Amino acid sequence: MNRLLIIIGKIIVGVLRLLGRNAGNLPGIVLWHLTRGKCCKMFKVDCPIIAVTGTNGKTSVTNCIAQLFEQSGKKIIINKEGNNLDTGICSLLLRHCDMSGKVDADYLILETDESHVPVVYSQQKLETLVVLNFFRDQLDRNGEMETLIQKINGFCKTFSGNLILNGDDPNTARLGRANPDNKNVKYFHAEPYAFATKEIFEASEGRFCPFCGEALEYDYYQYSHIGKFRCNNCGFGNNEPYMTAKDIDLEKPVFTADGHEYSPKLNSIYNVYNMTAVASAAKLYNISSEVTENVINNYTVNNGRMESFMLGDRHATLNLAKNPVGANMTLRVMNEMQGEKELLFVLNDNVADGLDVSWIWDINFSIFERVTRVVTSGTRAYDIAVRIKCSGYDASKIVVKPDLDEAVEELARTEGRKFVIANYTAVQPTRSALKRYIEKHGGEHNENG
Amino acid sequence: MKTVKILHMYADMLDLYGDSGNMEVIGYRCRMRGIDCQVDTYSIDSEMPDFASYDLIYIGGGADLEQQHISADLLKCREGIKKAYESGTFLFLICGGYQLMGKYYRDADGNDIPGLGLFDYFTVAPDSRKLRCIGNIVIRTTFTGETVDMVGFENHGGQTQGVKTPLGEVLCGNGNCSKSKYEGYFEKNVIATYSHGPCLSKNPEIADYMISYCVNRGSDEKTELKKLDDTLEKQCRQVMLDRLLSK
Repeated sequence: MNRLLIIIGKIIVGVLRLLGRNAGNLPGIVLWHLTRGKCCKMFKVDCPIIAVTGTNGKTSVTNCIAQLFEQSGKKIIINKEGNNLDTGICSLLLRHCDMSGKVDADYLILETDESHVPVVYSQQKLETLVVLNFFRDQLDRNGEMETLIQKINGFCKTFSGNLILNGDDPNTARLGRANPDNKNVKYFHAEPYAFATKEIFEASEGRFCPFCGEALEYDYYQYSHIGKFRCNNCGFGNNEPYMTAKDIDLEKPVFTADGHEYSPKLNSIYNVYNMTAVASAAKLYNISSEVTENVINNYTVNNGRMESFMLGDRHATLNLAKNPVGANMTLRVMNEMQGEKELLFVLNDNVADGLDVSWIWDINFSIFERVTRVVTSGTRAYDIAVRIKCSGYDASKIVVKPDLDEAVEELARTEGRKFVIANYTAVQPTRSALKRYIEKHGGEHNENG
Repeated sequence: MKTVKILHMYADMLDLYGDSGNMEVIGYRCRMRGIDCQVDTYSIDSEMPDFASYDLIYIGGGADLEQQHISADLLKCREGIKKAYESGTFLFLICGGYQLMGKYYRDADGNDIPGLGLFDYFTVAPDSRKLRCIGNIVIRTTFTGETVDMVGFENHGGQTQGVKTPLGEVLCGNGNCSKSKYEGYFEKNVIATYSHGPCLSKNPEIADYMISYCVNRGSDEKTELKKLDDTLEKQCRQVMLDRLLSK
């Protein structure tokens, strides 16, 4: 039966390739139906599987962990295109298995959607699970966040493999208590950076202890609800750190962890957290310090994650923000930058964005500093304009241009530093519009930030 | 001019789909007119406030778990809220806040979570958690004295029945029940709706109806609110009306 399923799957992959189509998800969907939802079970995987999950940063951390092993000379398989549901992982394994379903690799490194962790890893044995954070993200599509945490928590109750958890996120750290017999729980932390605050100033989750209901106390907040927290009633949060980022200076940017100094390419606090997760995985798997440094120091992202463009002689940075936390982080990076700047915010409400755009009201725009003008675009250009206006920003400095090319022209019309924020389905059209501007008026596009 | 006093209840727990944004909109529209607006918050275990001293009480929506958490606490406030409502305090209620003011909420397992019983309606959860009313919604209202087609976003499982005086007529979306004709609940000092968005962001007339009510409450002369430039808000709504009603 397995053999037949694999042959069917491989035929679909082959046909799609002949048609010039990407076989990222469709073969898995077909097998999902044929196997009644158990489409990952038929593969024979003898090597360790490392999974990365969480709301923000999955792709970055998955890629970096894959590089740790790749640069150590290991053969790895990774779902690079971000096909992170069971069907996407099934399609990936179909492309990499032989006719008996045997998958040949030293390690499988799999970005896994939060809601699919229990689905996939009830079918394949997981060695290590890295959990980065839990934030509100497109609630209407994914169901409520608590339901999501409960699902993963249910999985962790019987999981005795390595659990690498963000110890500064109460939503994540609570998973460490799901299975009291699991001795392989490891927490990573970060000491406060220059813009950490004593008070929370962004909408967030997890203000109460999930075990006893007491309000959590924080020594500091890094961003959103991420920070050094503890429950004074039951002691939740007092964890022995496995890896701690210290001496964080984002101006350079540098930080140290476990006695090593790192100079990452990206200057945000969330990158420090992501890289601390990577350093934790490196430590767990005894990766050499040369390789770890090389990976952390050279990691950059494209596809709208702090990507650089020169619009003529105006420097613009594009960043994806698919939820309030991502957007708040980008606003902070923008604020922390010296001098005046202008913002283009592109907001779409396509199905993949989650249809509802009310999450923009959880973005804290009142922190705007030296933002001299705002241009808005996308299918919900007016919604974001109204939101920024109601935060107290001068309405006469807001220009609405639903058409993206017009919006980019408008943004580049004046001198100075530019910032571009786009949500999920808006990122690629925005990149294209920026590139079209460069083709027409000159400039430069640097994929490596 | 008098200070508009608002009590925002459970702001830290009931804040789904930008509901706290409604307070930002009201605050903004007061500020632009030079009206002082004071927003106090109340949450579980706060000291019992004098509810009747407020011009407006606001409760947003929350996830099921959070709603269960607060329902017992809310019952403790019953007398205070009832007295405030009877003495003319405006009640502005979204989603969970709307449901909890009715007689009861019957969950999917058939258990009744008692509401404050201020109004006759009641809410029943559908048998399956998957049956939710989700999507953009347009509600035709006339209570402001003009026809306002309110645009918002609904996301609720609960089916609210027994509403005699709805907020408006559904032009697009579901409303109180799946595919129902009417949405929300209205009295001269009550606006209850499933509409998130936040609901006031694209519907400035509704915000002004409440601000005007609060400003004029208890005074003999009616003060007209200063007109604001709502071009962005109205264009924002028009884009959605064009999209949703042309189908």
